[in-house]
Amino acid sequence: MLFPYLSLADKTGIVSRCSMKSIIQLQNLQKSYGSTPVLKGIDLDVSAGQVVGYIGPNGAGKSTTIKILIGMLPDYTGTATVLGMDVKTNSLDIKRRIGYVPENAALYDTLTPMEYLQFIGQLYELDITQIERKALDLLRLFQLNDHADARMTTFSKGMRQKVLLISGLLHNPDVIFLDEPLSGLDANAVVLVKEIIRQLANNGKTIFYSSHIMDVVEKISDRIIIINQGQIIADGTFAELQHQRPESLEQLFAQLTGSEGQTGIAEEFIHTLKN
Amino acid sequence: MTFTILWLLDRLQSLFQALGADYGQLRAIVQVKLMMDNRRSLVSLGRYGKQSAESNSNFTRILVIYTVVGGLISLSMLAIPDKDVLFFPLTLQFAYIMALCAMTLISDFSSVILDSSDNQIILPRPVSSRTLWLARVVHISSYLFAIALSLSVVAVIVIAVRFGALAGLLCLIMSLLSAVLMVFLTNVFYLVLMRFISEEKLREVINYFQIVMAVLFYGGYQLLPRLIDSQEALTQALDHQWWHYLIPPMWMAGAVETVVRPVLDSTHLIFLALALIIPFAGLWFMNRFLTADFTQKLSSIDQESRPEMAQVAAVRATQANGSGWIDRLSGWFTTNSLERAAFAFTWRVTSRDRKFKLKTYPQLGFGLAYVVAMSFQSRSLGSSNFFYLFALYFAGIYVMVAQYQLSVSDNYKASWIYGSAPIREPGDVLAGSLKALIIKLLTPFYLLLSVYILYRYGIDKISDVLLAFSNSLVMLLSASLLSTRYMPFSVVQDALKQNNTARSLLVSVVLGVVGFSHYGLTLIPYGVWAAIPFSVATFWVLLRQYKKTGWAQIEMG
Repeated sequence: MLFPYLSLADKTGIVSRCSMKSIIQLQNLQKSYGSTPVLKGIDLDVSAGQVVGYIGPNGAGKSTTIKILIGMLPDYTGTATVLGMDVKTNSLDIKRRIGYVPENAALYDTLTPMEYLQFIGQLYELDITQIERKALDLLRLFQLNDHADARMTTFSKGMRQKVLLISGLLHNPDVIFLDEPLSGLDANAVVLVKEIIRQLANNGKTIFYSSHIMDVVEKISDRIIIINQGQIIADGTFAELQHQRPESLEQLFAQLTGSEGQTGIAEEFIHTLKN
Repeated sequence: MTFTILWLLDRLQSLFQALGADYGQLRAIVQVKLMMDNRRSLVSLGRYGKQSAESNSNFTRILVIYTVVGGLISLSMLAIPDKDVLFFPLTLQFAYIMALCAMTLISDFSSVILDSSDNQIILPRPVSSRTLWLARVVHISSYLFAIALSLSVVAVIVIAVRFGALAGLLCLIMSLLSAVLMVFLTNVFYLVLMRFISEEKLREVINYFQIVMAVLFYGGYQLLPRLIDSQEALTQALDHQWWHYLIPPMWMAGAVETVVRPVLDSTHLIFLALALIIPFAGLWFMNRFLTADFTQKLSSIDQESRPEMAQVAAVRATQANGSGWIDRLSGWFTTNSLERAAFAFTWRVTSRDRKFKLKTYPQLGFGLAYVVAMSFQSRSLGSSNFFYLFALYFAGIYVMVAQYQLSVSDNYKASWIYGSAPIREPGDVLAGSLKALIIKLLTPFYLLLSVYILYRYGIDKISDVLLAFSNSLVMLLSASLLSTRYMPFSVVQDALKQNNTARSLLVSVVLGVVGFSHYGLTLIPYGVWAAIPFSVATFWVLLRQYKKTGWAQIEMG
């Protein structure tokens, strides 16, 4: 049922890339941990209202790119600007206007969702009564209103993920960075969150989305960027990428990141188990 | 407590703003941190932790103990001496406060100030480096102030009653400044270290440093009274030497003395100035120079876990060497493959788990430092002819700590493996694990201890050392058999807290009884030598018993 958006999204994506100002801009972005290079020169230009799917194998540098963009890792080389501001010098101003949902469900789980969201809201210097109202409404929409005042230690991964999503969006950011935002969610919540992402983009928000689940990326992204070993190896709409190989994104991904022949590896795996 | 702290913070609002923090954010962070401390047992503030509903009752209990113990010490030191000779007792009083604050900071503070769990939650938010750092300092300082206050309350009252309210007030201020000074010293150290040490190595280095510092601070506290001949110092006015200006507790003592005697010569003015200026100068210095890239450094702490391809070959090679060694040891000391696996597993985890090292090694270090310090004490226990026995058995208590930590891990969730693997005799796992601990930690510890004791008290004490070692192993096994048995590294820290006090009490009573019996044996010719086989046999029987532990006797976390 999300397919109708795809064709529409393609058009808006292409149009916006030509006409609107860029929201995220990376030029020759490089970053190493110690002597290990992680990003080897990323060039990227994202304009408003796009949903960008940022994919790559484990250790390709996805999370590092996102951490640089949200201002958590200032010791990189090259330039990175978000909303027209340099990440190195204006990270606080950028942080006020972006939202980030990390991948590993990190939250203070001894708090209740309300307390946690109040705390996060205070860090953004939002008005406390406004946070409260907003948080309650959002929790209700995620069907967590019964749990609003229960400590999150007992929450399932999906419930935590919902709280995490709300905490990343509470201050109504202009740019949203999502790292595996669907992990742990049940099927209904997945549909809801995908729809939210789409409508956020329709409202002019820019979404930078990192995931390993290829068919979701395929369906919700206006533009797909594949990185491997710290370099961009493919960039375009799904339709554009399909020109290179008209199959699923999963197969395209495998081909581009050099992991073809998984069937053979699987056979070898079974064979080794038997020994 | 939370309410009081927030109230105080509100009063100091302009100070934080002047320091460059966003007060609203700082307050929110401190509030949430304190709230979480109250709920979860304080994992970060380890030994105060306990599961409790909404109040931090264990910390309160610690404070009460500090008040009583600190009060007794203060009473005995400050109540009697004449005002002319009060300088040295006052120095001891402040040294005591500083030592305890420093200990708390070193064992618990690093996990708070370097807490990377905030990375995902607070760093992506628009919170400045300075605000986050100040929030952490305020968070930890609130605990330190509570500790400093509870330690000094009796001293303050004594001084106030004897020398007037002003002297009491000054004593109170100096106690709080002692805490501030300790925050400064440890912080400077951490921040400087964060600046110069490569990021991946930071935690490892801090871990070892904590261990060394813990021992040094403890040793320093033991040593200070011995720098100056104590009998003399307690009865005579002190001649001030130049190096007295380098000892912080003396600044505080000198400052209080200006009002107590009262005196205002150049020496005391310098003390007063140092006591008042250094803590604040320290805070200012930290805030000005060291916090700028604090969050950046913090966010890079997590990166150490990145797999590094280039080094894989080298690591594999050293692992091969290392494991060959471990394999050989486990081959000698274990009897079946399950036990061997547990032996190697425990050996490796205890070498790498920072929390384990941090909880265990300082304790062992204290044990040694304490024995050495005590043995130098003239005219008391140290020179008595059974001190070495006391030392040997006293060390046994420290040994117990390691066994106690063996079942604890932050990765306790990984213990599902014990449930899903087809383990018929869990006793093998327990025994293998305990054997690794004995070979790896306890034997070297006793070896060091006995080298010192043989050196100091003569080679003929070898029989006593052997018997004490064997007895300690027996004690260790008895403690393991008597307490709740957990699989290695399978529970959270808190789970163990409940039965701790009763257990350690029991252990020390039994240690005392065994120690005295040992003393009795030394009076019989060859009594000690004769007892060794019995002790070893008991150890053997108990170990067999421990190995037979079935699933029913094991509590899974």
